[in-house]
Amino acid sequence: MSELLPDFTLIRPATVAEAVATLGREGAQVLAGGTDKLVQLRRGLAVPDVLVDIGAIGEMQGIAAEGAGLRIGAAVTLSDLARDPLARAYASVTEAAASIAAPGHRAVATIGGNLCLDTRCLYYNQSHWWRQSNDFCLKYQGTVCHVAPRGNRCRAAFSGDLAPALMVHGATLEIAGPEGRRRVALAEFYVEDGAAFLTLAPGELVVSIHLPAPAGPSAYAKLRLRKSIDFPLAGVALARTERGFDIALTGTNSCPKMVDFDVPFSPDDAYFTALEKAVQKAASPQRTTTIQPHYRRLAIAALAARTARALA
Amino acid sequence: MSRIIKLEVNGRVVEDLVPDNLLLVDYLRERLALTGTKMGCDGGECGACTVLIDGVARLSCITLAVAADGCAVETIEGQAPGGRLSPLQRAFHEHLGTQCGFCTPGMIMAAESLLRANPDPSEAEIREALGGNLCRCTGYVKIIRSVRAAAEAMA
Amino acid sequence: MKDHSTIGRPAPLVDGIEKVTGRARYTADLADRDTLTARILRSPVAHGRIARLDTSRAEALPGVLAVVTGADCDVPYGVIPIAQNEFPLARDKVRYRGEPVAAVAAVDAGTAEAALALIALEIEPLPAHATAAEARAPDATLLHDDKPGNIEREVHHEFGSAEAGFAEADLIREETFSCAEVHHAMMEPNATLAEYDPERARLTLHSCTQVPFYVHLAVARCLQMDTSRIRVVKPFVGGGFGHRTETLNFEIIAALLARKAGGKVLLRLSREETFLTHRGRPQTDVRLKIGMKRDGTLTAVEAEVVMAGGAYAGYGLVTILYAGALIHGLYAIENVKYDGYRVYTNTPPCGAMRGHGTVDMRHAFECMLDRMARELGLDPFALRRANLLEAPTFTANGLMVNSYGLPEALDRVEAASGWAERRGKLPRGRGLGMACSHYVSGAAKPVHWTGEPHAVVQMRLEFDGAVTVLTGASDIGQGSSTIVALAAAEVLGIDMGRVRVVANDSEVTPKDNGSYSSRVTFMVGNAAIEAARALREKLILAAAEKLEADPADVVCEGESFFIPGAAQSELPWQEVVYAALAREGTLTEKGTFRTPEKAQGGKHRGGAVGSTMGFSYGAQVVEVSVDEATGQITVEQVWSALDVGYAINPLAVEGQIEGSVWMGMAQAMSEETAWRDGLHAHANLLDYRFPTIAESPPVEVHIVESIDPLGPFGAKEAGEGALSGFPPALVNAVADALGIDVNFLPVTPDRLLEAVIKWRRAQKRAGGAA
Repeated sequence: MSELLPDFTLIRPATVAEAVATLGREGAQVLAGGTDKLVQLRRGLAVPDVLVDIGAIGEMQGIAAEGAGLRIGAAVTLSDLARDPLARAYASVTEAAASIAAPGHRAVATIGGNLCLDTRCLYYNQSHWWRQSNDFCLKYQGTVCHVAPRGNRCRAAFSGDLAPALMVHGATLEIAGPEGRRRVALAEFYVEDGAAFLTLAPGELVVSIHLPAPAGPSAYAKLRLRKSIDFPLAGVALARTERGFDIALTGTNSCPKMVDFDVPFSPDDAYFTALEKAVQKAASPQRTTTIQPHYRRLAIAALAARTARALA
Repeated sequence: MSRIIKLEVNGRVVEDLVPDNLLLVDYLRERLALTGTKMGCDGGECGACTVLIDGVARLSCITLAVAADGCAVETIEGQAPGGRLSPLQRAFHEHLGTQCGFCTPGMIMAAESLLRANPDPSEAEIREALGGNLCRCTGYVKIIRSVRAAAEAMA
Repeated sequence: MKDHSTIGRPAPLVDGIEKVTGRARYTADLADRDTLTARILRSPVAHGRIARLDTSRAEALPGVLAVVTGADCDVPYGVIPIAQNEFPLARDKVRYRGEPVAAVAAVDAGTAEAALALIALEIEPLPAHATAAEARAPDATLLHDDKPGNIEREVHHEFGSAEAGFAEADLIREETFSCAEVHHAMMEPNATLAEYDPERARLTLHSCTQVPFYVHLAVARCLQMDTSRIRVVKPFVGGGFGHRTETLNFEIIAALLARKAGGKVLLRLSREETFLTHRGRPQTDVRLKIGMKRDGTLTAVEAEVVMAGGAYAGYGLVTILYAGALIHGLYAIENVKYDGYRVYTNTPPCGAMRGHGTVDMRHAFECMLDRMARELGLDPFALRRANLLEAPTFTANGLMVNSYGLPEALDRVEAASGWAERRGKLPRGRGLGMACSHYVSGAAKPVHWTGEPHAVVQMRLEFDGAVTVLTGASDIGQGSSTIVALAAAEVLGIDMGRVRVVANDSEVTPKDNGSYSSRVTFMVGNAAIEAARALREKLILAAAEKLEADPADVVCEGESFFIPGAAQSELPWQEVVYAALAREGTLTEKGTFRTPEKAQGGKHRGGAVGSTMGFSYGAQVVEVSVDEATGQITVEQVWSALDVGYAINPLAVEGQIEGSVWMGMAQAMSEETAWRDGLHAHANLLDYRFPTIAESPPVEVHIVESIDPLGPFGAKEAGEGALSGFPPALVNAVADALGIDVNFLPVTPDRLLEAVIKWRRAQKRAGGAA
């Protein structure tokens, strides 16, 4: 017998409009692949009255060319994304997708789910008993962030692999909500607050992801202890642009983050050292896992520089 | 809320009234007494509960039973029709791909999913496909050998 | 000796088909619709006095059949009879976060969880100490009033004279090593199914244990029941690695609940709760001083070991004794001084884990041997060869060594790894390291001494020609049932298909101490051989009568009885079975095993720990590549040779060696149990990072057979000895790859990168100075 799930009603709308209407209800939450959500439910980290399963919505499926770019339905699974021939032009994206969890997860986990993946923390991803014994935490049910007790915000780490991989390709999202549809640059979709890292309004739903034509080759590098299953201790995506590199991070902050690095490319050590330093500066890992934050910062910067050299 | 689901489990059609919040692993183990599917963790971490849903390896501990409505579910119990071991079961038995046996059903189901898609996997492909299935006994050495042996036996 | 008909060739497990078909039933698979669901209320604080515990509202909840608390059991338990200080449910005080305080049995999980929420628990907190250093501080709060300084057990042993040995040494080095706490993380979470029949006052337990006999005794004591009213069955068990070598709190709690509810109760722990039950290898600090001659000969060893043992005694005193005792037995060392301190801390109790007590000590020792070899300009293999034992012998602390395959193990891995050609010649970032290790084949004196033989096996000849083997040995995946079946088939000259093994049901099988300290093959194997020989004797008598021949001339082989070279025709097995049964009816023979007195260790206090009939001996080479930018180590290849005496089942021996090498790797590279304010920081399989298949290396196994004179068919243990070789071989390989020595375990990338950065700074300073 596993831990009990809360008593909820599952609703499986056929259209985005129905889904949005249902999400407007009190206590409604989205269920995509469920690989993280159902674990959260088992640990009492979410107590929805209604789960809106987006798996039957046709509009959220499929990967298709869109002009010179690509449109990806938010309910596309990670395994479909990882092996899609059109998506291969965006190597950072397919590499990131293939690096997530394990095949059994990727078969159902979705791109939208990974973009909205809840932030993670040693003090948060625990059982109800564990969290209760620790007076809960700022992210959920408590008042103190145990990672940074003197701070005033939650420091949980955003841990989705796809966000940086899509960000460096200039992805935008189409979002449907009670007020209609809107487009937002993926980089603008997040805010640096572990407890409220998404700018989704109540009732809103990510419908699709849109990529312009790739400006250049890209790659994703993931720092982790084990080569499977693990969430990223840190992850970095790089895309070669005309000017140099676009770089984005995950796992190091409470939201995925574009690295401020505008140095024009030159194929010398000084350039890559500058790139490494820029990544170190952008990364701000906290004590959200048992692996030392300082290490995550240094190692992801080193991986970024190495990946840049390989792409240059 | 509860609803009626209709699915195929190991080739037999089953119709059942299940609550929305029932996990597939609990449905299989408690309602259908298919206890071959194991639970080794508190959700999505070990792969012991791996079953096939429409031929693809999935974790039944993070799948709702209602999500299997209309699907074909295969568990370890369905792998030996007529009591004869499948090539993977035979290989895991003969090459000691199983020691304590607790990860074995999930491991075999994940490998089954691999071999159906890729009948001649390389060692790297085996490592990739079984990456979510933890084993604490074997060091995985004989698991890799067992999967290769099954592939060779089927060739 | 090699002339065997059945053993010595790869044999699949006799219960393997059940495992690959899902028919194998583990404890949690045995519940039926009538079974009640149990849940445990655990302490939210690490140390405190229970001020109030009111279960009345929980008891009143419809659907709740039983609620138990510390008031329901005032008998302490613990695996060591002289160190029983734990209650299944806390009484008065709680001593770690997660300690069981109350438990509930209800009609379903929802009701059980609702009932837990209705229990009022108030605890007055006391200062808590998570580390040995804190707990040993002068002003530390005592966990147990009768244990001043929070010291559970101190050990002070000296054999020979360390002082004299160091005086003879040309090189003396001293270093300190720190090894993290690790946990067994066997794949099956803990579970007990308890059923109580109030009419007959009988209790039946099915539990995931390695030691059903110990569970039987502890449950009888704690429930104050007559042992004859209890039946303990061990179903299939999903691994143990030492976690289950003592009675655990949940087993007694399930029994208490079943009795109170008058029914059947399944208590299945979550993975988190299974971590909280702990019993793993303690956090261990080793200060080690070694002296040696210029040629590498060891002259003296001085070691101080401090273990943070957790809140209760458990196996603690054995662990701290093992760490000192097994400094001996691998190399020839005469002068050894050992000081050990087992400390109480406010964390879940530690216990026995694969390589019990020896792994961290061996790690320090083998790392230092490599470093000292480097200073002396000696090859690491040469250094080990300078210190070999000569069997048969007794060590300075009185351990018996009858067989010693270490020289061959060294030769095998040295050649296989291309050591001579490759060591020191690999590019920077790639390295080879080696280490040796050993382990006991069962403790010569069991922790629970009854005076009975260590092992008893019964063998019954059935009318249908089958042989039923009755054993209490606990197969937990290591293949012990297969070993007894092989022994029976070999001695009786029959097909394996005739043999069936009935194991671990106290109603029908003889008592056995259980599966720990690698005792089963040696002890139960010998008992099985003796039982089979006794049965063969009876069959030969019957055959001789029919053949009208001298029993001494009759050979039993290949399912027939015959007289070699004689005119009489062969008698088939079944015919002799009928004849034997006609002589005396159902035949049940018995075999036993007792350890010889001389194997039982030195006469000093604690001298029994480490004593055994035979040690396995291992040598291991590990090849790594290290990424200096990320601190990540990749294990490219492992070569592991282990002297197992004789491989009764080479397939299982390989599997045991591969598994133990891998578990050593896991401890060396990624596993650790850390605490944040007494809360477990790794209580799930994402944060307790044991390796996946993706990064687990190829392991080349070399089986060395020294044919132990006392071992069954010459066999010794195979499942633990290789483990402790891995961590030092890895650290030595990293030193070869980078020129950096590290003194901590696990060598996680963050720690290694920090060491690399420190080393670079030191290099820079040295370069600047030059």
